[in-house]
Amino acid sequence: MDGRENEDVGFQHGGEDDLHCPSLGMSTNPLPEKISGMIMSSVSMYKPSNGADPFFSSGWDPLASLSQNQNFGGSSSTVSHSEFANPPYPIALENQGTSSTGQLVRYPSNSSFVELVQKLPCFGSGSFSEMANSFGFPDCGQIANSGCPQNYASLKEGGTGITSTNGALSRDDPQISCEGAIGSSPNAKRRKRASDSKNSPITHQNAEGELQKSLSRESSDVLKEPDEKKPRIEHSKGSNLRGKQAGKQAKDTSSGDASRENYIHVRARRGQATNSHSLAERVRREKISERMRLLQELVPGCNKITGKAVMLDEIINYVQSLQQQVEFLSMKLATVNPELNIDIEQILSKEIIHSRGGAGAILGLAPAMNSSHHYPHGIFQGTFPSIPSTTPKYPLLPQTVLDNELQSLFQVGFNSCPAVDNLGSNAGNLKPEFQ
Amino acid sequence: MTPKGVSLNPNSRKTKFARRFIFALSRMRNPIPVSSSIEEEVRTRSHKIKIAAYLSMARAVGSRRAWSRALLFKLRTRARRHNMIIRRRSFRLKKKRIIKNDPQGEPSQTKKLRQLVPGGKTMDMCSLLEETAHYMTCLATQVKVMQTIADHFAK
Repeated sequence: MDGRENEDVGFQHGGEDDLHCPSLGMSTNPLPEKISGMIMSSVSMYKPSNGADPFFSSGWDPLASLSQNQNFGGSSSTVSHSEFANPPYPIALENQGTSSTGQLVRYPSNSSFVELVQKLPCFGSGSFSEMANSFGFPDCGQIANSGCPQNYASLKEGGTGITSTNGALSRDDPQISCEGAIGSSPNAKRRKRASDSKNSPITHQNAEGELQKSLSRESSDVLKEPDEKKPRIEHSKGSNLRGKQAGKQAKDTSSGDASRENYIHVRARRGQATNSHSLAERVRREKISERMRLLQELVPGCNKITGKAVMLDEIINYVQSLQQQVEFLSMKLATVNPELNIDIEQILSKEIIHSRGGAGAILGLAPAMNSSHHYPHGIFQGTFPSIPSTTPKYPLLPQTVLDNELQSLFQVGFNSCPAVDNLGSNAGNLKPEFQ
Repeated sequence: MTPKGVSLNPNSRKTKFARRFIFALSRMRNPIPVSSSIEEEVRTRSHKIKIAAYLSMARAVGSRRAWSRALLFKLRTRARRHNMIIRRRSFRLKKKRIIKNDPQGEPSQTKKLRQLVPGGKTMDMCSLLEETAHYMTCLATQVKVMQTIADHFAK
């Protein structure tokens, strides 16, 4: 097929636009046409489900409409340009590449792409493999194998952790063009640059500095995609860190061959110890403080607390109160007579209405809860707001104990409340841990 | 009562948990009175319901989280451990501390937190905090759903 030979040539051209091929159209470049021609032919072999005819018609428009029906990754072209008005990768591409890469992004974490990438070099394999997925794996591989054998080396250089290709990023570098995951291509560049610079014994944080540089060079906002960011790159987005890093920008930092593994690259801040132990310690501490901040947002009423110890106390109290609530509710449910028709949707809709009505109602955020401890229970209908729904149904349990428990549960208020520990005798059996 | 155009997300943790829990509850309905006293019956039943609640929550979360895995394991081996404790009182199983925690960690609160969060004994501080956050959100949804169910029955 003519497409195949031409595509060989195309790849040797430096892979500038070959990776835009999956767009399958709207190209001023003759090259992607041929590649897409090959795609077409390969696709034709597999009889797309809604008929092979649209593929062979002259215009590209049927393909576009087809894509809309079948969600073909790369075949979406001008019709779906509007979709990519705000793609996760707002890469400034020359031409039709935007659609392809934008579409490619959506399937970054499909592990099946890994094999495909190695077999289907530079077809913007995310989109192609999307098509290939519907048509069957091994055959596509064969077609592509015969097509571009010489690019395997470059592909395999990309490593196994690569998902979809994004050739637009590494336009400059043909060998890396087929590398795949966006995170890895700046890494490759970093590796290349790093080979020139000296190795330093300390692990450095390349993320902010290097990637910012590479980004600015390529004018691509790759790193906006959070999923692509491998866990090895530690994000400390403090502005002070960046400011201090600016002073060290001139110095190239290298990660050696550690960029492939799960290392955390940290850069020593200005005026701080550069001992590797203290750096690791600092990373750990920052992680912990970040988690504590998240927890602070989760636990209600802890906005003003500063300090790890107090925060931990609050967290412990909150978890304990939640567990006690579960105990209490299970006891309540045990005493209720069952109704045979339990409608999940009913319950969940009630739940949703209820939660819209009063956020945080359950945990008694308002200190005025004591007066109306029934509030979290029966608000959703609004018709019986003043009837304590809990009391009349539990003749088995002494109601005073029940009320006390309710009140004390809602009184916890996430301050260490001694009442929590002094619940009634019934509550003494209600330990949160299982026996 | 019909929902007024409220849309439910069928895949959310909440719906998954609600489904499982309600199913477990419906299976548990045992109108035959047990010979023991009422209080004890209520107690055993509430214990069962509590276990069912935790189990359905852990199943709804799945194996993604360390705490759910630990909880599922604990619940599955409850019977086994119970038998071992009763039958072999002399034979004590020693628990091995797998990870020696960093000496900088605060002793009292961290230990307490580890006891509260399932599976927290063998986690380092960082993942312990992460698991705590997730566990807290799941507990909150669990409480909400259970409360709604209880109110639904109590009407």
